[in-house]
Amino acid sequence: MTPEEPNTMTISTRPLKVTINGQAQPVEDIPEELMMLDYLHEYRNLTGTRFGCGQGMCRACTVIVDNPDGSSEEVRTCITGAHFFDGKTIRTVEGHAQRDDAGEVKALSTVQQQFLEHFSFQCSYCAPGFVNAATVLVERLQREPVPRSQLEDTISEALESHICRCTGYVRYFEAVRDAVLKTPGTTTGRS
Amino acid sequence: MSRSHISRRAFLKGSAIAGVTAYLAPFGSDAFGALFEERVLSPTREDWQLAESTMRFRLDGIAKVTGSKVFARDIRAKDMPHWPDQQSHAFIIRATRCDHRFEDIDLSRLENAGLMPDRIVTAEDMARDQIEVPRFFGPEFFLPKGETPLYLGYPVAMLIYHDFPRYRLAKNRIRFADDVVVYGDKTPLPEKSPYGAFRYIRVGGDTPFAEDTFSALQETVLYPDFRKRHPVWPEALENGKDTEKAMFYANQLQDRLDNAPDDWLVFEGEYHSQYTDHFAMEADNANCWFDRDKGDMHVVCGTQSPQELVNWMPELLSKSRFNSQRFFLHPAYTVGYGSKDATIFPYYGLIAALYADGKPVRLANDRYEQFQATMKRHPFTMKNRLAVDRKTGKFQIFKQDLTANGGGRANFSNSVAFVGTTAAQSIYYMPNSDLTATAIYSRMPEAGSFRGYGTIQSMSATELMVDEIAGQLKMDPIELRLRNVFKSGMKNTQGAIPAGHLRGEEILHKARQHTIWTGREERKRTYEAQNPEEHYGVGFACVQKDFGHGAESAFSEVRLTPEGRIELRNTGAEMGTGYSTGQAAVVATWLGRAADQVRTAEMEWDDMQMYETASPYFISQDEQDKAAQDPRWTPLLLQASSASNSAYYFSFPTLEAARVIFRHGLWPAAVDYWQRGIGGGQSAPYVVREENARWEGGHLTARGMEPLSLEFLAKRAHEMGLVTGAITHAFNRWEWSRADYDINGRTENLPLDGLAVQYGQGASDEKKALMSSKRGYHLLTRKNLYIPPTQRNNAGVTYYSACGALVELAVHKGTGKVSLLNHHTFLECGNAIVEQLVSGQIQGGAAMGIGHALYEEMPLYEDGPGNGTWNINRYHVPRASEVAVWQQTSEILPPLSRTDPPKGIAEVVMIPIVGAIGNGIAHATGHHFRSLPITPDKIREVL
Repeated sequence: MTPEEPNTMTISTRPLKVTINGQAQPVEDIPEELMMLDYLHEYRNLTGTRFGCGQGMCRACTVIVDNPDGSSEEVRTCITGAHFFDGKTIRTVEGHAQRDDAGEVKALSTVQQQFLEHFSFQCSYCAPGFVNAATVLVERLQREPVPRSQLEDTISEALESHICRCTGYVRYFEAVRDAVLKTPGTTTGRS
Repeated sequence: MSRSHISRRAFLKGSAIAGVTAYLAPFGSDAFGALFEERVLSPTREDWQLAESTMRFRLDGIAKVTGSKVFARDIRAKDMPHWPDQQSHAFIIRATRCDHRFEDIDLSRLENAGLMPDRIVTAEDMARDQIEVPRFFGPEFFLPKGETPLYLGYPVAMLIYHDFPRYRLAKNRIRFADDVVVYGDKTPLPEKSPYGAFRYIRVGGDTPFAEDTFSALQETVLYPDFRKRHPVWPEALENGKDTEKAMFYANQLQDRLDNAPDDWLVFEGEYHSQYTDHFAMEADNANCWFDRDKGDMHVVCGTQSPQELVNWMPELLSKSRFNSQRFFLHPAYTVGYGSKDATIFPYYGLIAALYADGKPVRLANDRYEQFQATMKRHPFTMKNRLAVDRKTGKFQIFKQDLTANGGGRANFSNSVAFVGTTAAQSIYYMPNSDLTATAIYSRMPEAGSFRGYGTIQSMSATELMVDEIAGQLKMDPIELRLRNVFKSGMKNTQGAIPAGHLRGEEILHKARQHTIWTGREERKRTYEAQNPEEHYGVGFACVQKDFGHGAESAFSEVRLTPEGRIELRNTGAEMGTGYSTGQAAVVATWLGRAADQVRTAEMEWDDMQMYETASPYFISQDEQDKAAQDPRWTPLLLQASSASNSAYYFSFPTLEAARVIFRHGLWPAAVDYWQRGIGGGQSAPYVVREENARWEGGHLTARGMEPLSLEFLAKRAHEMGLVTGAITHAFNRWEWSRADYDINGRTENLPLDGLAVQYGQGASDEKKALMSSKRGYHLLTRKNLYIPPTQRNNAGVTYYSACGALVELAVHKGTGKVSLLNHHTFLECGNAIVEQLVSGQIQGGAAMGIGHALYEEMPLYEDGPGNGTWNINRYHVPRASEVAVWQQTSEILPPLSRTDPPKGIAEVVMIPIVGAIGNGIAHATGHHFRSLPITPDKIREVL
């Protein structure tokens, strides 16, 4: 799905090769100025990654970059050029749940399930960013567990930059705590 | 709360407005089945329901947490069935100066880069093609050349691109460029008369329960004319007309305040509330396609008021030179806090489509544009005077002169102003009051509907004022509140008696006993000893907020299939509040469990054949009486989803529809079964009455009768030809309309002004013949209709929910920074439909209130958002660390009984924490602030 070709000028482009949610995307010539968010929306029709502020402040546009060493990190796509992701593997909110061949959701990730059961979001516009941030956190804690007594502070630190305007954060944070505690090996010491 | 309403026969699907037939197909509707509605709205019920109405998660939760396309912003042309795939894009260029004439636009930056648009739309296009702004929105869509902008951010042109890359690059090139709009001669800053003013005067009787000497409800509200931008009030005459009497009593109150006895404290204070942005995370957007061959206009957008768009957009098209035959609106899930109610934005999307060469075009604000262009919260200035008896602590006379700055378009400024002033009494009984509200024009970007709708400004001021008065009286602030608290049966400042039992007093007692309050002085000593750089403070505030617009109406349909599946559809829009989930849950009262399928924002109600003719706010009693002779007439067909109106008002017709099905379908089916067999069956030894009916674990029983499942009863009701479906319409003007209906041979008086029923599949041919409407309903004809009299428009409000907040905070002595340590909210909401949703509202409301109290603020004019450079790098929205995320708690007052109606709470929950923070800062610093937000700069000044 490629947006219509420009009709009056030559826009400087470069081929972009990226893997999204486990699938290598078709290599396409993408304008050099384009932000990753626009690439996801307009070229891949993956609109779950939200545009919030365009300044990298609200984090609704966060995706996960999976590094070759097995670590992962959050990256803000509204302020990061699409070509930064060349050769990289990313996960977007659409890629967390298990789906059948028809695309129907069969099972949510632990983080998504906890968000659902905690009624963490209302409008949900910020939910993709929280899903990705919380997933990165849970995966990090699996590699580098923290004492249970530090869990709340760890969550606060990890999610502080994400803005939610509807539910006031409480239900997100409590859900992430439950997601961490339901994931073996993420904390040490007594709960 | 009343809001402007344009008089017009409203839209129903299939009806034509000036030659343009309008269709509405929300995401999730049958009409939009090709997209994703089943997955969004109908997860398998065992997944999301535990028992009865207890929800495991939101109805839309899976779609939302997996990033599905639920917002209009997610939709592209290729997502829309029957649209061409090619997506065009548009953006608007806006003027940022109001002291010069607009001369032209200069796109040389784009020309040099080869990025000229495919189409430029300007005021000349509007004039040539006769595209008129709906009257409600005021001046032209685009500023004509040679004119001075009325407000900062006035659109001067729209650029359309038929491909995304050039659109994106072009927008990047000219964002923030100050040479794109070319200005001519310098002109004076624009001025205009105020948008309107209102004055509510009340002189109570000897007791709060005695007849009033004068009140707005009893006599009249004052609506002054303006001369040289100042209100002209009537002459004061004790025995004159009602308006003249009003001024007589106003003068009397003024005289008593000016010459108060020595044992009165007459407090005077000027309060300010700031200019803020909704920061609804989904910025305004619309994706529209004008199919020139067919004359069809398609509009995808997020809106809180779809009924407004289906009224006004076809009208705009019909008056224009474009040949438009049909209009299709596809409202999506969205979020607004008021910002998507009666906003002019979607009309620009529609205009873009008219000039996009037959291509779908997407107009989507980025955040800078959103700050620049969308509606804001009205800044208020409130000059308050409150006389208090020093000995008793009783309030005597309250006088307020409130000014609401509405900005460059009037929008709802008038009603925001009067809703603000009529809420100013907060939870207190005011024996005498004189409240004036004026909505003024200014050149700032317009203010409009915003969660709290004038009341967060006025009640926060009152709550700050009450604490300051308590300090002057050397009285405990909660004690002063208790001495003046509004009790059930008392009259509000409009002279109306609020609905039901008021529970503010209960919250005051709870707060007084809460540990945050009881231990505050000791904790202050301890905390300040441990943290010598900080002041510690505890603050409290309590408010009661009206819910509803003053004229409420909705349609609802509940239908039971032979398999026991419950299908529900109604007119409310999902704004993220969990409305659809709540609607699903609410029918459990009568049908034993939640609905299986919910469709929201539905507007296809042809079956009811109902119509309206005039504004319910301004119609005369005579006109109403005459119109009501027609059994299909109603004062108001539909209301927008705003003013916290879904829980109570929109649930109401849903509950009534479910009740009709229960009483005329399920219950008789059950009784018939229980009576089967010799001697009257299992029911004979007992006396089984309808009032004994109970749903237990999804089964109906009554006085020991065999529990019967909904599936079983639905099948029987269908076989017996009983009532298995109902469409209801209800109207409320601070009370419900009522009428008699003959249902299956029984006459019932119901709080409905329209009712249609559907009989089960086993109904007789005679009955089936009655089900002749489009969806197979028997439209009943009402009798003995009662409509609340038009005088009740002056009541202002009668439905309230109460909410209080306790706050514990610290103020840094050096920086003035306020840290919230803890807070606790008390909320009264009747029976919560879904408790987790209410709790989420409390937490989210508190966060927004914290932003209002401490952080959120913008300059009004040239340095403000109208200049197009504002974003959240300098507009601070509270983060988790600023809301005491791990410490905060809340409690919902238990309902008085299981029969309490659910109350609207989405607005009230954000208000008391504002006053509580201000009062906490006063406790910490000794200074009572009167201007919001209370920033570190302001605090440092007094420290």
